[in-house]
Amino acid sequence: MSNVTDILRIDGLKTRFFTDNGQVNAVEDLDVRIEDGEVFGIVGESGSGKSVMALSIIDLIERPGRITDGEIWFRAPDIADELVETDAVDGDYVDLRAMSPEQRGLLRGSRFSMIFQDPMSSFNPSITVGEQIAEAVEAQRRARSNPRSLDAKSQHYGLTDYLLGGVLSSKRYVSEPSLDRAIELLELVGIPDPAERAEEYPHEYSGGMLQRAMIAQALAGEPDVLIADEPTTALDVTIQAQVLDLLAELQTETGMTILLITHNLGVVARMCDRVGVMYAGEIVERGTLGDVFDNPVHPYTQGLLGSIPDLQGVAERLQPIEGNVPSLLDHEMPDRCYFADRCPKAMEECLEHPPELAVNDRGQHATRCYLAETEYTAAKALPTDYFGATEAPAEADTAPEEPTATDGGDHQ
Amino acid sequence: MGLGKFLIKRTIQGVIVIWGVVTITFFLRFLTPGDPVSALTPPDAGPEVRERMAENLGLNDPIHIQYADYITDLLMLDLGTSMRTGRSASIMILARLPATLELALAATIISMIIAIPLGVISARRRHQKSDYAATMFSLLGISTPNFWLGIMLIILVAVVVGPIPTGGRDVSFWEATVMLFLEANPRGFGNWAIHIFLPAITLGTYFTALLTRLTRSGMLEELGKTYVEATRAKGLPETLVLYKHVLRNTLIPIITVLGLQLGTLIGGAVITEEVFSWPGIGSFLIQQIAYRDWVLIQGILIVIGVGFVVINIIVDAMYAKLNPKVVTE
Amino acid sequence: MISKRLKQSLRSELRTSLMAKIGLVLILLILIVAMFAPFLAPHHPTETRVSDDPEVDKTDLPPIGMGYETSETRLVDGEMQTVETTIEPDHSFILGTNTLGQDILSRLMYGARVSVLVGVLGALLATAIGVPYGLTAGYFGDRIDDSLMRGADMMLAFPSLVLAIALVGVFRDTDFHTQQIPDPFVLAARHDTLGSFVPRGEHVAAMPASITFPVTVTLVVALVNWVWFARVARGEAMAIRQEEYVKAAKSVGASNATIIRQHVLPNSLTPVIVLATIQVAAIILLESALSYLGFSETTLTWGYDIQQGQSAAATYWWIAFMPGMAIVIAVISINLLGDWLRDALDPSIEGEGGV
Ligand SMILES: Nc1ncnc2c1ncn2[C@@H]1O[C@H](COP(=O)(O)OP(=O)(O)O)[C@@H](O)[C@H]1O
Ligand code: SF4
Ligand SMILES: [Mg+2]
Repeated sequence: MSNVTDILRIDGLKTRFFTDNGQVNAVEDLDVRIEDGEVFGIVGESGSGKSVMALSIIDLIERPGRITDGEIWFRAPDIADELVETDAVDGDYVDLRAMSPEQRGLLRGSRFSMIFQDPMSSFNPSITVGEQIAEAVEAQRRARSNPRSLDAKSQHYGLTDYLLGGVLSSKRYVSEPSLDRAIELLELVGIPDPAERAEEYPHEYSGGMLQRAMIAQALAGEPDVLIADEPTTALDVTIQAQVLDLLAELQTETGMTILLITHNLGVVARMCDRVGVMYAGEIVERGTLGDVFDNPVHPYTQGLLGSIPDLQGVAERLQPIEGNVPSLLDHEMPDRCYFADRCPKAMEECLEHPPELAVNDRGQHATRCYLAETEYTAAKALPTDYFGATEAPAEADTAPEEPTATDGGDHQ
Repeated sequence: MGLGKFLIKRTIQGVIVIWGVVTITFFLRFLTPGDPVSALTPPDAGPEVRERMAENLGLNDPIHIQYADYITDLLMLDLGTSMRTGRSASIMILARLPATLELALAATIISMIIAIPLGVISARRRHQKSDYAATMFSLLGISTPNFWLGIMLIILVAVVVGPIPTGGRDVSFWEATVMLFLEANPRGFGNWAIHIFLPAITLGTYFTALLTRLTRSGMLEELGKTYVEATRAKGLPETLVLYKHVLRNTLIPIITVLGLQLGTLIGGAVITEEVFSWPGIGSFLIQQIAYRDWVLIQGILIVIGVGFVVINIIVDAMYAKLNPKVVTE
Repeated sequence: MISKRLKQSLRSELRTSLMAKIGLVLILLILIVAMFAPFLAPHHPTETRVSDDPEVDKTDLPPIGMGYETSETRLVDGEMQTVETTIEPDHSFILGTNTLGQDILSRLMYGARVSVLVGVLGALLATAIGVPYGLTAGYFGDRIDDSLMRGADMMLAFPSLVLAIALVGVFRDTDFHTQQIPDPFVLAARHDTLGSFVPRGEHVAAMPASITFPVTVTLVVALVNWVWFARVARGEAMAIRQEEYVKAAKSVGASNATIIRQHVLPNSLTPVIVLATIQVAAIILLESALSYLGFSETTLTWGYDIQQGQSAAATYWWIAFMPGMAIVIAVISINLLGDWLRDALDPSIEGEGGV
């Protein structure tokens, strides 16, 4: 814990879903550090656990899922002051996992906020966009009017308040100033005629405009960390660029940290300072953009990047790699490198699960692959049909439906 | 389409249905064997008297004239003359209407107060004991004949609580209110409440069970949507996430189902009134069937049919108001 | 029509759902009881056992295990005296007897016959009216759809019970039909045609030779409930007529009637089957309500027995309680069956019904 510029340090995070088919290890022993003010990219195929990781940070994992292990250290000196003398504090850092659910709830919107893949389904269809953004503003206004940021009681807004709000305007949750601020925010993200558009419903917006509105909503609480889960995947190519520009611009202005989740390598190359590559719930390779893109060590990363020589020529989309993402079902996860069955360089040592290994002495670039330390020689290679006969059928059976069934956080 | 335009369209449709209802009941007269002339004249009346009566009633006119007269009378809210008593059907039915409205409203309110929280809890604690209990309750509720439930409640109350009134109606809600405000006498209200309690529970049970079921499944569907996650992510208190967003969106489609199911409520009222001797139009209908007073029967059918159509127009208006897509698309 | 995939999903739903199993077992039980009532019923359902002699008086016997104390005033040694007596249940009347001394259990078993017959035949009849109506509306669309469905809406403006009461009122005075359905088991036992094939021959021979089937009531419940079938069939037909194979059939010159019969009808059956199941429950409830109100011309039904027990309900609670329980159990098991079919076949179908 020497580098004080980290805003987030995740250690050994495990998030599991206890489904009827068995336990799904969606995030497995994940370690990552995110620096204050950077844009950190997370790339990986569909179903590799990116969204679950994001939801774990912001504490929105719902039954049947649960974070079972790990620590999430977040730099927040003011909160550390409030919680001093508890296990949850280490210097300026607090462990989110050691805080109560109520306290963590208060960090949503104010410290962390999130934008989602599909803006159309991420807004409530029956409430105006302006009102929904104003709700976000109001939540933070109420939080800030309170000297202690973790005092959940004074922010309490119960059922009686809500019911009374139907009759008494003084009891309504959203106040006039918040509505005005919502319009300002809409203007800030480049929506023309913000006052009128605030009165409109989500279905009256175009996809790009609505994604801007969602960014406005996420900015309402001036968060320290903005998690963007595939923010442009659902948009047209031309609109994608505009939304990314907007994000970059806002990031420069506010200095917030962005955790950018995507499976578009072009987006990563354009936006990110550092990258983590995710596979089967783990970060298999991480480092600066240059480290990972110019000098990928993990065969999965290499596969993703294809045979592209330099940053300028990076492919738009992930290169498809032969084979399927593992099911992540606990009883189907072997005790070996999870990628070994698809890896062209699988060796004898790969039959033991690799730890995270440093690639060079600078300490940034690391990978969960033995190739960081050993050279690949044909002599050590596993026979080509080593996994083919035993494991492939089982995986081919379950894997194809996984990504579609879960991508975008659909719980049903 | 604006809300106003939507409502106009809906009202025109409603008027057509009402016209159909009225026409069906008009022809009902010709299906029934009862003869209004014999009903309204003394048994020993001679043929001239009978002829004059038929003439007065317009029964000698060609059918289209009769139909036109009938519609004209209806437009003037005249439902005819009771065959048995010779009194105005409109007035007789109107006198019975408040009791039914009170009962239906009380049942609806009790249902909503019980069912919505039950459905919410059930959905929130899916696959836990309270969820199973709520599911069992709603299965029982939709499978129990309400007349039997009423009888069982009467027995149960008599045994457990002791003698409280289990039938009839002393004061109307209106009278009770007047007593409360003008005479500062709350006793009328107590009397009203104690009489309506059992019938309202009896009538409301099916509705409560249905609403619990619909709320539960609707909440489960709604809770799975991404916007719920997004709403939580922006830091909104959980109460608001649940009630302002999820429950509200759950109830919007339920409203239309309930509109259709109001028919069940009115049908249930008929038999509930019979069990509890509640002086509404339901027990009145059964009485008149026994007396074979077809003018009154027709009148009651028209009132129920028109009431049902009007309620459904109101329900659709609420739906349109709550669901912006209906109006703007 | 019933594909392999369908059978599979039915089976897997049944395996995972305890409720579906319970429903299926109960339904089978009810069907068996209704079918073999003459064998299973311990007593004649309408035989009364009223007598002046308290020793043989079998009225108002409580169910087994429900003996109770009462005081009665009677003539003892020439003067009126109030004596405490304990009314003990009689072991051959498991569910007790009613005020006429009829065995409640036997009546419930015979009542099941009427409920099952009216429920199933009523639902079939409603299907037969509603499905062609709805298919026509949905298949042709536009004007035809508008006018047909507007007509159906008018039916919906009346609550089913109100409409049923009015129709029964009309039919009652014109031509109200009941049909005596002879009981083959009893006849066989009486004529000894099957000889020793009929077990308990003498017992069966003493049972009623026929049951009264309320024809008019069955017609009325079908007339009241066909609209739901029309609505569902219409929705299906509207979706199916957009399908390629329908367009293809049209392009080769198939007539509308042929297309409806060969393509639209078979493909809309699934939701109709689910609805029909749920409607059997709704119709049983409706029939019981009509019998309770005295609008059914047969008295061997659950609804009538409830009405019969109502006046005595304060003291002899079981007389009204038992037939009600029979209705609840029958309706619950059909609803469970309906839930099972719906979950297995098509989760998007919504069921309506009830009194
Ligand atoms: N609500 C859930 N219930 C069960 N499993 C889930 C749920 N959400 C996600 N998962 C599992 O977690 C894994 C990772 O999902 P996700 O994080 O959405 O992938 P990504 O965002 O990388 O495409 C998937 O394999 C999926 O099976
Ligand atoms: S550890 Fe072995 S199997 Fe895994 S990616 Fe590296 S080389 Fe391939
Ligand atoms: Mg995702």
